[in-house]
Amino acid sequence: MSPNSETGANKQGQGRRTRFSGSSRRRFLVGGATAGATALGGCLGGLTGSDDGDDTVTVGYVLPFSGTYSLLGESIVNGFEMYVEQNDGQIGGREVEYVQRDTEANTDRGVSITREMLIDAGADVLVGPVSSAVAIAMMQTVQNEGSAIWLNANAGDYRVVQEGCLKYHFRTSFNDWQTSAPLAPWVYDNVADNAVLAYADYAFGQNSKNFFREAFEEAGGEVVGEVGVPLGSDDYSPYLGEIEDSGADAVFSFFAGADAVNYITQFSEFGLDEQMTQTGSGFLLSEDTLPAQGEAALGKYSLLHYTPSKQTDRNQTFVENYQGEHDTRPNVYACQGYDSAQAIDAAVADVDGTDPDDLADSLSGMEIDSPRGSFQFHPETNDPIQDMDVRQVVETDDGVDNEVVTTLDRPEIPTWGCSL
Amino acid sequence: MVDVTTVLRATLLGLQLGMTLALVAAGLTLIFGMLDVINFAHGALYMLGAYFGVVVVSELGSFWAALVIAPLLVAAVGAAIEILSLRPLYGRNPLYHILLTFGLAIMIEGIVVEVWGGQSYRIPAPDALSGTLSLGSLSYPVYWMFVLAVSTALIGAIWLVISQSDVGILIRASAHDTEMVDALGVDVSKVFTGVVVFGAALAGVAGVLLGASRSVNPGMGFGVIIQAFVIVVIGGLGSFKGAVYGALLIGLMTAYGALIAPSLTDLFIFALMAVVLIVKPSGLFGATEAA
Amino acid sequence: MRELFARFGRSERSAGNQILTTGGRYALVAIVGLLALLGPVAAILEPFWLFVLVQILVFALLALSLDFVFGYAGLLSFGHAAMFGAGGYAAAILVAEVTPNALVVLPLAMLTGVVVAAVIGWFSVRARGIYFAMLTLAFAQMFYVIAFADVPAMVAGAESVTGGDNGIYGVALYELFGIVDFSDRINYYFMALALVTLSLVALVRLANSPFGRALQGIRENEERMAFVGYDVQRYKVVGFAISGGFAGLAGGLYVPFQSLAHPQLLHWTVSGELVVMLLLGGMGTLWGPMLGATAVILMEEMLAGVAAWEIILGGVFVVVVIFAPRGLAGVVVSLKNDPRNALKNAKDALLTYVRKVRGER
Repeated sequence: MSPNSETGANKQGQGRRTRFSGSSRRRFLVGGATAGATALGGCLGGLTGSDDGDDTVTVGYVLPFSGTYSLLGESIVNGFEMYVEQNDGQIGGREVEYVQRDTEANTDRGVSITREMLIDAGADVLVGPVSSAVAIAMMQTVQNEGSAIWLNANAGDYRVVQEGCLKYHFRTSFNDWQTSAPLAPWVYDNVADNAVLAYADYAFGQNSKNFFREAFEEAGGEVVGEVGVPLGSDDYSPYLGEIEDSGADAVFSFFAGADAVNYITQFSEFGLDEQMTQTGSGFLLSEDTLPAQGEAALGKYSLLHYTPSKQTDRNQTFVENYQGEHDTRPNVYACQGYDSAQAIDAAVADVDGTDPDDLADSLSGMEIDSPRGSFQFHPETNDPIQDMDVRQVVETDDGVDNEVVTTLDRPEIPTWGCSL
Repeated sequence: MVDVTTVLRATLLGLQLGMTLALVAAGLTLIFGMLDVINFAHGALYMLGAYFGVVVVSELGSFWAALVIAPLLVAAVGAAIEILSLRPLYGRNPLYHILLTFGLAIMIEGIVVEVWGGQSYRIPAPDALSGTLSLGSLSYPVYWMFVLAVSTALIGAIWLVISQSDVGILIRASAHDTEMVDALGVDVSKVFTGVVVFGAALAGVAGVLLGASRSVNPGMGFGVIIQAFVIVVIGGLGSFKGAVYGALLIGLMTAYGALIAPSLTDLFIFALMAVVLIVKPSGLFGATEAA
Repeated sequence: MRELFARFGRSERSAGNQILTTGGRYALVAIVGLLALLGPVAAILEPFWLFVLVQILVFALLALSLDFVFGYAGLLSFGHAAMFGAGGYAAAILVAEVTPNALVVLPLAMLTGVVVAAVIGWFSVRARGIYFAMLTLAFAQMFYVIAFADVPAMVAGAESVTGGDNGIYGVALYELFGIVDFSDRINYYFMALALVTLSLVALVRLANSPFGRALQGIRENEERMAFVGYDVQRYKVVGFAISGGFAGLAGGLYVPFQSLAHPQLLHWTVSGELVVMLLLGGMGTLWGPMLGATAVILMEEMLAGVAAWEIILGGVFVVVVIFAPRGLAGVVVSLKNDPRNALKNAKDALLTYVRKVRGER
């Protein structure tokens, strides 16, 4: 797989990209070490903030707890802490200390909070963020400080691997290639040989659309049109008109949150279901949007790495435990939080310490027995190599729900030139 | 490759957007005309209308009940805001009202997230209004037509009242000269409260109507307030007629912009506002200020 | 329509007419000295507080720049994020493409702020009061859309100029002919402190100069100033451009420090937050808004872990608007002038509030 070269307006110019390439990265580490040493002038030495003799593991949540994304942040925390509670409140046999800060899904605050976690709170592990823009903004700080493991429990932008390629960054979530490209051959084989693409017009939507396009054309399909919609649009009728006029038999979409609710309900209201099959990235039809989408979601296909209704023993147990604790089913974010805790627990136990370099070595290539199905951290990129579920929305006793149609066995993920 | 169907669909959407925005902008402009208050919290009132609608539908199971009850609840919130926070500031510099209502808007959004969380909700549209209408080659949702019809009827009724009736004369007189109306023995403070209550109720109606075709989420208040500001500024602050024309203009621009250059639509709208103000510094129908 | 916006010269708008009395100047010197000592202490005890201090300095500078036109000259700019963001983006692009030398980049970031403000000002000063506010808001939002959709790249056919919705990330720190190592954040802090102090001194001097007096005169009574022969519009544009320069400088200080230039810097919510800082601090005093910026950032820092922090921030703000319209500066001044009656004044304010809510006059 070659890295996709079509991400148009969202790639950084060459001049800026080299900042994260090999030789300059070493320079950064030197710079980071100086800064770290100065910063720790008052501490009791040691290269990590909290390794001043205590045995606790400090977990820093870099997540949104207010505004539209608060549900995502809270779900990640719920998942993480549920695992820790099941293990006597310990990580790797050590006591746990939590530091919680609200990013407000704002990049600027994300940078400040990351700094605070690493320098002030002496976090051993960062959990977050939700937004890819925040993740991309955090890369440099995590790199400079080099004092903690970064468990990326949601942000899926492939550039965190392509341009960051950080030793300390482990994705317990997904990358945006995984939630779109593997669906393309399945659509070509089972739905239609032509498709129109509809996407929220920002980096993540563009990436998803490009990855799908590439894979769909490779499978032999034809993309007959693209419709970009500004982020946060309320009314999709002009865009639905364009989608309809394309005459495609299938549509692949990336929208999330409120956008996904608006798009799916209006797609259905305008009667497009009779004309084409709706498919999309899993965030289009997920646990947090389905209640609002209701019957409008019926029959639509999407691809995601976690489906709460999946019939495996591992998942059933997880769902029951979570439901017992929070009175609601776990969503994909809760699973990502849970797996973040599993990963750091195993690594701390393995190295019997919190040195970030040791932890990174331990995590690299590790297998995680997740409710979503077992996954492995890619030895070169630290992205999860995992199964992907194709799901369809069906009617249930109390509304609508995703049902797994088929599971794609660990699609091979691109490495985008990153080799750790 | 723009065909008749596409233009017709965009036009219908533009009119519907325009008329629902007019419901929000009308309250905003009336409140300004009477009280000299730029109400930054007006978007938050619209949002509350949608959330109250969600609650009423889930409790009583009726969209029609929500359409009546939710705006009344929003009106009550409006009354509380006017009496407890706007009233003590009358006679002070109008800037303080903007700042105060900005603070209220932040607060209300925070409260909504606290109570309902960050996820999206939706008001289920009534079954009687489900399905699509066929207009030649265009199919259009029945509910959207209903929204267009209801908001147009409401705006038309208000227009008639303002231009023809005694209430309208009072409103226009108060906007023009509060002291004189006061001297004639009308309790101005009741009129003020009444105007805020009325404006809040209108925003609440818009919230319920749109809450059944759009997602209901904590970001919707700030989203609509900026649009509403643009509308009342283009139309001229305090002018009801200006608010309606401005709303239609912005609605149609949004709809056509989506066909031409979606990512730049906002740019065009703000540019239009700048051009209008540069040419006519107090909006299309605004009273010219004493220079 | 009454002459609403011609009445902007009320004494309630600022905590006094003279900007910084002699006593105030001594206090200022003392505070700067204190901050200079605080930096190294923070670096040793709580390294993270250095970051917070730099952030406070940047926003204090931004609030100061806005107060010069908003509180002092009566130009209600609701779009100061445009100059802040423009200076920041200029710094990001210059550092990446030209040179990371602070002596080159910071003046250019400042110049960018001046140019952007001059353009916005030239178009906006015709409108008055709230219409002026709305125009500045519209222009700032245009800049936001231009950065978010990366319009420069569309126009120039380049791959990326503003970096679209992710912005420009990985912006390197400044350097200064290899003499100062800014990755040691204490140095960055001293640079920021020096620049903010110089900016405050410059703006105070300007406010007390004939030019400043003319601006104040325009705020109090524009018609009269025009009548006695001042070119009112030109004064306003120049004042706005000067203010924009300092906002651009704030952007230039902020972006390399955060390693990020992002469209959110240009968003109207930043302008809104700035106005909040102004009012909390006390408009028209120049030093008050700097206090306001400090208060807002500290509040956000303390409450960021609390889910309901928006409710608290909004609530504090509403209370200040109603009970302390002259902000922190007003409180400080009245405490200084009349410490014994402070309690009585607070009680009076409460009684007045209750009376007004009841509808009495």
